[in-house]
Amino acid sequence: MAAAAHESGHHTSLGVDNRKLLMWIFLASECLFFGTLISTYLVFKGQSLVGPFPGEILDIPLTSASTFVLLMSSLTMVLAVYGAQHGRLGLMRGMLLATILLGLTFLGFQVYEFRHFGHLGLNLGTNQFGATFYLMTGFHGTHVGVGVLYLISLLIGSMRRSGLGKERALWVDTAGLYWHFVDVVWIVIFTIVYLIPE
Amino acid sequence: MATAVGSLSQPEDRSKIWEWMTTVDHKKIAALYGVTGFTFFLFAGIQALLIRTQLAVPNGTVLDADLYNQLFTTHALTMIFLAIMPLGASFFNYFIPLQIGARDVAFPRLNALGYWTFLVGGVMLTSSFFLGGAPDGGWFAYAPLTSTEYAPGKNLDFYTVSLLILGISSLMGALNFAVTIINMRAPGMLMMRLPVYMWMTLVVAFLLILSLPIITVALIQLYFDRNFSTHFFSPEAGGDPILWQHIFWLFGHPEVYVLILPSMGIVSEVLPVMSRKPLFGYSAIVFAGAAIGVLGFAVWAHHMFTTGLGTVPLIVFSASTMAIGVPTGIKIFNWLGTMWGGNIRFTTATYFAVSFIALFTIGGISGVMHASPAVDGQHQDSYFVVAHLHYVLFGGAIMGIFAGIFYWFPKMTGRFLDERMGKFTFWALFVGQNLTFFPMHFLGLAGMPRRIYTYDEGLGWETWNLVATGGSYIIALGVLVFLINFFKTMRQAPTAGDNPWDGGTLEWATSSPPPEHNFDVVPEVRDRDPLWYNRDHGIAAAPKPEHLHIHLPPPSYIPLVVAMGVALLGIGALSHIGVSVLGVAVIVYGVWAWALEPTE
Amino acid sequence: MDHEASAGHGHEHPPTTIRQYIIIGVILAIITAVELWVSYAGLGAIEIPLLLIMSAVKFGIVAALFMHLKFEHKIMTRMFLIGIVLATALLLAVIALFWNDATDNRVLPDRSESSAPAH
Repeated sequence: MAAAAHESGHHTSLGVDNRKLLMWIFLASECLFFGTLISTYLVFKGQSLVGPFPGEILDIPLTSASTFVLLMSSLTMVLAVYGAQHGRLGLMRGMLLATILLGLTFLGFQVYEFRHFGHLGLNLGTNQFGATFYLMTGFHGTHVGVGVLYLISLLIGSMRRSGLGKERALWVDTAGLYWHFVDVVWIVIFTIVYLIPE
Repeated sequence: MATAVGSLSQPEDRSKIWEWMTTVDHKKIAALYGVTGFTFFLFAGIQALLIRTQLAVPNGTVLDADLYNQLFTTHALTMIFLAIMPLGASFFNYFIPLQIGARDVAFPRLNALGYWTFLVGGVMLTSSFFLGGAPDGGWFAYAPLTSTEYAPGKNLDFYTVSLLILGISSLMGALNFAVTIINMRAPGMLMMRLPVYMWMTLVVAFLLILSLPIITVALIQLYFDRNFSTHFFSPEAGGDPILWQHIFWLFGHPEVYVLILPSMGIVSEVLPVMSRKPLFGYSAIVFAGAAIGVLGFAVWAHHMFTTGLGTVPLIVFSASTMAIGVPTGIKIFNWLGTMWGGNIRFTTATYFAVSFIALFTIGGISGVMHASPAVDGQHQDSYFVVAHLHYVLFGGAIMGIFAGIFYWFPKMTGRFLDERMGKFTFWALFVGQNLTFFPMHFLGLAGMPRRIYTYDEGLGWETWNLVATGGSYIIALGVLVFLINFFKTMRQAPTAGDNPWDGGTLEWATSSPPPEHNFDVVPEVRDRDPLWYNRDHGIAAAPKPEHLHIHLPPPSYIPLVVAMGVALLGIGALSHIGVSVLGVAVIVYGVWAWALEPTE
Repeated sequence: MDHEASAGHGHEHPPTTIRQYIIIGVILAIITAVELWVSYAGLGAIEIPLLLIMSAVKFGIVAALFMHLKFEHKIMTRMFLIGIVLATALLLAVIALFWNDATDNRVLPDRSESSAPAH
């Protein structure tokens, strides 16, 4: 296995893996993406000319439940990483599956919420709340969806005969970074949109 | 270049085109960026000539108002996103691995994807001319001119979609470059031993990484305003056109430094070598570059002094804008200090680098003038601003890029560009650009507004407009001679040695042009100018090993597949959602294949 | 700084045990519950700062322990901090510019009748 020595994870200046570094810098970039969406939301907070207004339709208990679901998906994700790092493949696969299901549950809540708001007359073009709310939470949901696809790929990959290869821990760890980031973004959005009164 | 592992598995007779389409070699990708970028540079130059021809005399009739709007908008967009940025990316690609002593960038396939995505975005933006009209709202696309009410066609949708795609491309490139510079350096290449060009590249990469997501949101909002009936920027429904200006310039001002910092880096490479003397004040110039990067995020509202920001914001942004002149001034004195007392060789590259300092200083000083809200109120939207930005972008960025072309051409091709023709190009560009852009200061102060397609006689603008148009033709002549120079040189035999200028940085340690694996032996770095250190301390280069056993990533067609997916996604955003869905499917398939593709 | 470490790429794991991860998860859930209580309790002026602090604490816990920043090479923290700090600073700047906008004379509807404060 002389060829393994050139593997891109080795011989780096800082001794860290390139892909992990890439993910962290990408997440720094994502901070600005969500920062701008949140800024827009806050700039237009209380600027809707017509209803429905946020105080009238936001369902805090329901969203608290979906927030809890996403928070627990972070726990299952970190346990999947643990399993990958300690060679406990059963734990890893189980927890990946749990994370995927929790992520899908969160998306289910969001689809329900969007449809419900639609029935109450809040659409993208209704008012500034609708535009900023749907854009911000919608892009967050898109990120969750991408994360679900990401984790499904890992799960399928781990089922193949070769598994995830010798870099298994790194693959799952990097995916975990993305997943946790999407979770922390929701922590912020949940506070700003739902918890802080209008 | 034969590599013991790589070449055996590859068929020898693959066609040339397929080789270029599937390449992941940073040098070939650099060539693709360079040729594409220069083609767009010529295209945008022709647009500028049309604009200047229209304005040569009062009541010009060459263009009508609508076409004129499209031309000045796409001139700016093409120059910024399709010429200067990719030409910068071309140099980044070529010289990051060579200057830090690496065999390739950190993510070769991502690098290829960056190029193909750029090409998709560039073609899409340009194709708008033939598909119902190009963007016509200025490159900053101020609301409410971009609302469907005032821009009912597809023009502005081409703007949002192609800029989003170009943004994705730049983001991928910038992430790749940042990781490469941070994590792929040769042994002994400490951060504070990096060539200044690498430092400027790193700053540019972070500016892009941190500012592109901002414009991404703004473009998405604009797209939603135009297609999904939101009202982010339309005041009659509670939106705020000023918000667009804020978000746009939050990106737009760092973007200005994205355009100029690479050229500052190039000049910082050319001047020490041509003066045969180490760079004066290395740490100062590095920290000044980083300071420009940080302050670049704190000055955006100086583009908006006339929007009624209020007194306190005016003072804050005026102060921060004046402050950013300080690190810029530091750099200028460093370059002067580098040349002072040096044994200067007056090559074409030197000419371009020195003229960069002079012209950029003129543009910088008129920039500091705009930092005063009172003065800015007079200059706003006049040709004075056009003069300022062209001194910075043509006198700065483009002159720097030409310095880089003449300096590094021997390394990239093994051939010297002809110096006599090169000096002609220099003088034509130098004289031409001063004739074109300096009179615009006078025009602006005489009250000529920007973005007007024609003007009446008797306003006192005739003379200087005619001079400016004449100057633009001289620029075109200079570029034409450069093209002749290029094609003539490429037919000659390569005669340049490994290190024709006696440079001190690592790219000169390998052959010209470099082999596919860059270095036979990864060099050991002991100093900021490692080759000069080795020369002065009598350290011989490591002997060439008898058996090269270097693994290089195999070519891959998958980046092309993913880029096709991005193209479909974009086309769908302009036509029918079904195409977008297909595009997403192609992207998902491509990324999956990407992950499974062996890179061993 | 260079080549100090061949350590840390992949083979060393954060020292956290499964039990500790679960405890962290429970702590996060508890903080969320407290947040919910605060948002309903009507604590007046300290409500918003309190909510922001708790969400920042949750953010920090996830980043440091679940994302392993505490155990990673410091370059990762630095990279992430650049994004966080810049995003926060720009957010505050934009909000300050808009919320103190003396030139904004749009007339917003009077909603004191139609909808009472949400909570």
